[in-house]
Amino acid sequence: MSKMLFPRWVNALPTVVAIGAVGGVATVSMGTWYWATPEFWEVGYMPTQPGTGFNHQIHAGRLGMDCRYCHTNVEDSHWANIPTVNTCMACHTDGKLAPQYDPGEKVAFVREAYAADESIPWRRIHKLPDYVGNFPHHMHVNAGVSCYSCHGQVRGMPVVHQEESISMGWCLDCHRNVEDNIVGPSKVTDLVWVEEHLKERAKGADNATPEAKRIIESLQNSVAEGGPQNCGACHQ
Amino acid sequence: MSRVDQCPSTVGKKDPKKDRASTVNGNAQKLWRSIDEYAAHDEGEFQSFLSREFPAGASEMLASSRRTFLQLMGGAMALAGAATIPGCRRPDHKIMTYSRNVPGEIVPGKALYYATSMPLPGGGAEGLLVKTNEGRPTFVEGNPLHPVNQGKSSAWSNASTLSIYDPERLKYPVFREGQGDSARQVVATWDDFRAWSASHFAEFDSTSGNGLVFIVDKKTSPTRDAMRAQIAARWPLAQWISYDPTGADNRGAGLRMAFGQPKRQILSLENADVIFSFASDDLDKGASALRNARGFGSARRMRTTNDHMCRVYAVEGNYTPMGAVADHRYALAPSRIPAAVVELARLIIDRVGGAGPLANAVTSFDTRGEISPDLREMLDAAADDLVGARGKAIVTAGQDLPAEIHALVAGINQVLGAPGKTVSYVPAGAEEARDGLSDLAEMIGTMRAGRIKTCVCVETNPCYDTPTALGFAEAFDRVTNRIVLSIGPSETAAKATWQLNAATFLEAWGDTEADDGTIAPIQPMIAPLYDGALSEIELLALIAEKRTADDYTRQPAGYEVVRSVWQGRFDWSDFEKSWRRALHDGLVAGTTYRGDNGGQAASSVYANISSVLASAAVGVNPSSDALDVVVTTNNMYDGRFANLPWLQELPQFGTTVVWDNPALVSPQTAKKLGLEPDPYTVKEPKAQMAKVTIDGRSVEVPVWIMPGMANNTMVMFQGYGRREVGVIGAGVGFDVQPVRDIMGTRIYTGAKVEPARGRYPISSTQNHWSMESRTSIVRAVDLPAYLRHGDVKEEKIGLYGKTSVLNFGEKLGELSHTPPNESIYKNPFTESRDEPKPGSAYSKGPQWGMNVDQGTCIGCATCTIACQSENNIPVVGKTEVRKGREMTWIRVDRYFTGSDMNEPGVMHHQPVMCQHCENAPCETVCPVNATTHGPEGLNYMVYNRCIGTRYCANNCPYKVRRFNFFDYATKKTKGGYRSEFPEGTPKPENINLIPPRLREKVEEIQKLRNNPDVTVRSRGVMEKCSYCIQRINAARYEMKLQDLESMPDGFFQTACQAACPTGAIVFGDLLNDNSEVSKAADDGRSYGLLGYLNTRPRTTYKVTLSNPNPRLRKPVEDPFHHGGDHGSEGEHGAEDGNGHAVFIDPLKKHEDTGYAGSLRVLGAAVGVHA
Repeated sequence: MSKMLFPRWVNALPTVVAIGAVGGVATVSMGTWYWATPEFWEVGYMPTQPGTGFNHQIHAGRLGMDCRYCHTNVEDSHWANIPTVNTCMACHTDGKLAPQYDPGEKVAFVREAYAADESIPWRRIHKLPDYVGNFPHHMHVNAGVSCYSCHGQVRGMPVVHQEESISMGWCLDCHRNVEDNIVGPSKVTDLVWVEEHLKERAKGADNATPEAKRIIESLQNSVAEGGPQNCGACHQ
Repeated sequence: MSRVDQCPSTVGKKDPKKDRASTVNGNAQKLWRSIDEYAAHDEGEFQSFLSREFPAGASEMLASSRRTFLQLMGGAMALAGAATIPGCRRPDHKIMTYSRNVPGEIVPGKALYYATSMPLPGGGAEGLLVKTNEGRPTFVEGNPLHPVNQGKSSAWSNASTLSIYDPERLKYPVFREGQGDSARQVVATWDDFRAWSASHFAEFDSTSGNGLVFIVDKKTSPTRDAMRAQIAARWPLAQWISYDPTGADNRGAGLRMAFGQPKRQILSLENADVIFSFASDDLDKGASALRNARGFGSARRMRTTNDHMCRVYAVEGNYTPMGAVADHRYALAPSRIPAAVVELARLIIDRVGGAGPLANAVTSFDTRGEISPDLREMLDAAADDLVGARGKAIVTAGQDLPAEIHALVAGINQVLGAPGKTVSYVPAGAEEARDGLSDLAEMIGTMRAGRIKTCVCVETNPCYDTPTALGFAEAFDRVTNRIVLSIGPSETAAKATWQLNAATFLEAWGDTEADDGTIAPIQPMIAPLYDGALSEIELLALIAEKRTADDYTRQPAGYEVVRSVWQGRFDWSDFEKSWRRALHDGLVAGTTYRGDNGGQAASSVYANISSVLASAAVGVNPSSDALDVVVTTNNMYDGRFANLPWLQELPQFGTTVVWDNPALVSPQTAKKLGLEPDPYTVKEPKAQMAKVTIDGRSVEVPVWIMPGMANNTMVMFQGYGRREVGVIGAGVGFDVQPVRDIMGTRIYTGAKVEPARGRYPISSTQNHWSMESRTSIVRAVDLPAYLRHGDVKEEKIGLYGKTSVLNFGEKLGELSHTPPNESIYKNPFTESRDEPKPGSAYSKGPQWGMNVDQGTCIGCATCTIACQSENNIPVVGKTEVRKGREMTWIRVDRYFTGSDMNEPGVMHHQPVMCQHCENAPCETVCPVNATTHGPEGLNYMVYNRCIGTRYCANNCPYKVRRFNFFDYATKKTKGGYRSEFPEGTPKPENINLIPPRLREKVEEIQKLRNNPDVTVRSRGVMEKCSYCIQRINAARYEMKLQDLESMPDGFFQTACQAACPTGAIVFGDLLNDNSEVSKAADDGRSYGLLGYLNTRPRTTYKVTLSNPNPRLRKPVEDPFHHGGDHGSEGEHGAEDGNGHAVFIDPLKKHEDTGYAGSLRVLGAAVGVHA
């Protein structure tokens, strides 16, 4: 009986290698699929803002200020501007607010910047890549897409973070199904209402409340136009 | 080179080698792009060169080995790995908002436009609208209200946004003292200068300004005139020298001779039926260039067969834009042109009579030699034509010609009844009329003797731009106090004791006067980028004002200075209101002169001219021992634009040379003198150096061949070879100042030219982006042919019984020979525009399209610069251009016609940008869908998807795609600009090969210039014309915001269309029947480039027309002339014996037989072409 060239366990090697290869490929691709995405890296981005920051929960939520009080150009320009220091000082000038509402020292950094005529270096949260040459806020807002659809429930955010992945696939999801998000120009900044309403809508046409149905019907024209799905709409 | 013709009936009947016509031409002439293309006899190296996607070497990385490549890549990857870890963290982006003082008109994200004006070198101005993004000027358009621009702009004004962000600008004042070892240099402040100048200039009060000199640029500006008056009032003996470095204003001097007072000439070419140009530079140089280009375009434009087209004659030494497209052109040595002018005057006066003393003067004029019979015949025929079109005729002469000749031209125009119709005259200022160079020559003795104590150079650079013979640089050293105000470093600023940093016209207040007297304000778009920078008028106001030691810091503000001058000048009831109106409109209404006929009786004009005419300089015929040399200017002007890379990399008119100023000679002269450059197929073609000697002054320059130049004539360009200007401009080209004489004459005779040692590399784009040996690219016919056939459409029954309708322009090309194409691949665009099916692309507007009228294009390439500015297109540098890597999205192809290389016929210009094909060949080959089609007919390029396979560029028949071989836009490409390394020394490695991570980025300040709406492309990405998609999108939003139903025609313009001075480019919605572009595209003359490829381009071209005088050349009336006889030469519309018809690409002879065979079968089967 001649001696075998290879030990017996070698017989299992092809199977092990095959399983290992399949498993490895699966692991790598699933890992990439999960981790190497904007959904993993971008969502939840919450940089530290200068000074004591800006509490959207208080301003937009409790006080009920409209988004457009500060983001004034959102209906006219590509950019939804960050307010100037001037805008903050409309309320936070020393002694303007009643003592019980005055945040006192917390807004000192705003007053200092104003006094020195310097800007406050707010940290940018939502940033599209440079090759997306074009995100027109004015078109979206005027078409009746709520701030909520992209920025989340900002009224409930003490510190604003990125809620959505803002990846291309996510953009296209909406552009392909605009009816999921269009709420009409008059309601775009009413984030609490929008959240409720969109939840209602997600139940489907049969289960929605009569009011929701009425709104959906009133938006048929905007829905019919749809969002552009061609490259040149954003990449320029 | 014509290689592909699909007409099946003549396959195999012709010898392809015999035929080298590049493009079809109804006038039966072959077309060629360069000497090499002309000379390429067989399918040799040049052929393979042309058919490459990129020129040889373009895709080559290193001259050295694969091993070096691997080493570099290994290093790069190691670094990339190390650097990725910190790269994972998202970078902190700050948003800096306005603080307390919020400019009310700024809406972040929306551009604002402000009216201003740009002073032109040598006088005159352009009125501009400057686009500012959040306060930074990024793009320049012409002001529609300004009479010079009327919405159009020039290459200079388009490039002005670049000058403001030049990182090498002077940033603070510098004080220097001492010489040699004791020399020291300190960084000073403007207050230091103000303190010093307050006491220093007070010293001149006692001597009335003796020993004080101001050397300023020749400019027309009321406020500067006022500053001059202030200075003259304070120091009557101070000298004020306002000079134009490029030479004397010969036209102005000539008009002064004719009319007895300083005058400017305003042409109304739009009224002209016959134009005679003697080396006229009216279309590309001088204060009226834009006006004239517009008028010329309008006079040549044929919108329909009912329009009228003017006829152009030209006699010139080198190609001018007008001569290049002239119907009859005669190349004559520049020093002999005066003789031709006199001859034409004689012929005209003979016919018209009168003109009294002028008749005698021209008859007795010594023309110093015979006029050749050809030229005489042309002049004779032209004289008939001009006299026949009296009142609608105009003769014009170039600035290079002597003043007396300009006087005579004014006289001829008087005889032709032109004043008030095709030409008018307006008064010129006294300062403008002075010859600054002769003032300098007068002053230089005093300066050399050390009697000038203080010299103030205000935005001038006499140490570089005056003739070396003047010896200014040496004399300047003898001046004790040398004060130089300069925007960037200059040879003069380097010698200054006080080197002061100036503000550009985009940063300061001021005013200008245009050629026709229109006064326009200059308003700043942004505060001076470098704190404290003063404008010209602010510095002059500072010096002119008496200040004491206590208030030395008092600085007159430009705003106040201009306003106070205007308050004195204009009698406005409500100054504030009128001032605001002027700022808003960008001009002062009512300041435009009404042109007159010169304000002199014709008889006295004739008498004036006849008294000076005899002294006009006219040379004898030049020979190869005694050449004529013209020293003139191009886009660099006197060198002030040398640090603007866009202008350096803009292919020069006629030669397409970039980054250099070789001397030009005709092919025959080059051969005779032994000055021929290497053929283009050599790996790194070099030009021969030559030594040019004029009256003992000599210079060594490389020599380049220019077909169509007069023999024994050489043209040189000023403004190159600067030494102190910054990294872009320094050492580019050769300084020709050493050959100029002290008066800055432009035309020299008796020059000796001999080969010198050495050969020098020249980068020229003339053979780049060849359309792969295809035919019918440029189509040109004579006017009678168009009038006869222009409106006739031909219906063809083609493949599978499909019919197609060919218009006049299409019939001229291969479409008349090929069966209609049928695309197997169905896409929404492959159907009729006229009867769109529901749901197809054509059922819904807008559908964008462009049309280029080749008949009115003058080849100025302003579109290229405007596109570069709008679309953030980088420059690549001289060596990179030589490898064929230039990035400009619009190239202006230049073709010569004719069969004699030394005397080509017409020069055709064809701007080629992405054609936005409906059946785009690039889209089908992209493996990653990075280039796709949009619903409005645009061919999109998505940069972030592109992986750089370059398949698309390979498959593009028009060769309009540009590839970022390196990080041209975001990284410094230093080292790419210069390549004048002596023969034999090893070249430094291509600096671009250093991994981007290790290379320096462009300065932050340079990024401010970029258009924020357009992506800055990175390495490895393909790009091309996007039809200005950012403007389309912005216009759509604006339309929605304004609640418009559809987009009105002209709601926005593409950058090239907005700039085009002749209005040759139209863009708009093809579905809108009333839009300019749909009218143009439906015109009989419009054809799609390479239409037979069935690419269905959205950009169409209009056939070039020429309007020959039947006496000189019988116009071809039947450009088709097909007959049934295919055996003889001269069918297929090309009847010169060269024809255009060659059936098989000889390079692919073997592969093509099946293709040709299939065509034959199909053709025979349906009987398309019996």
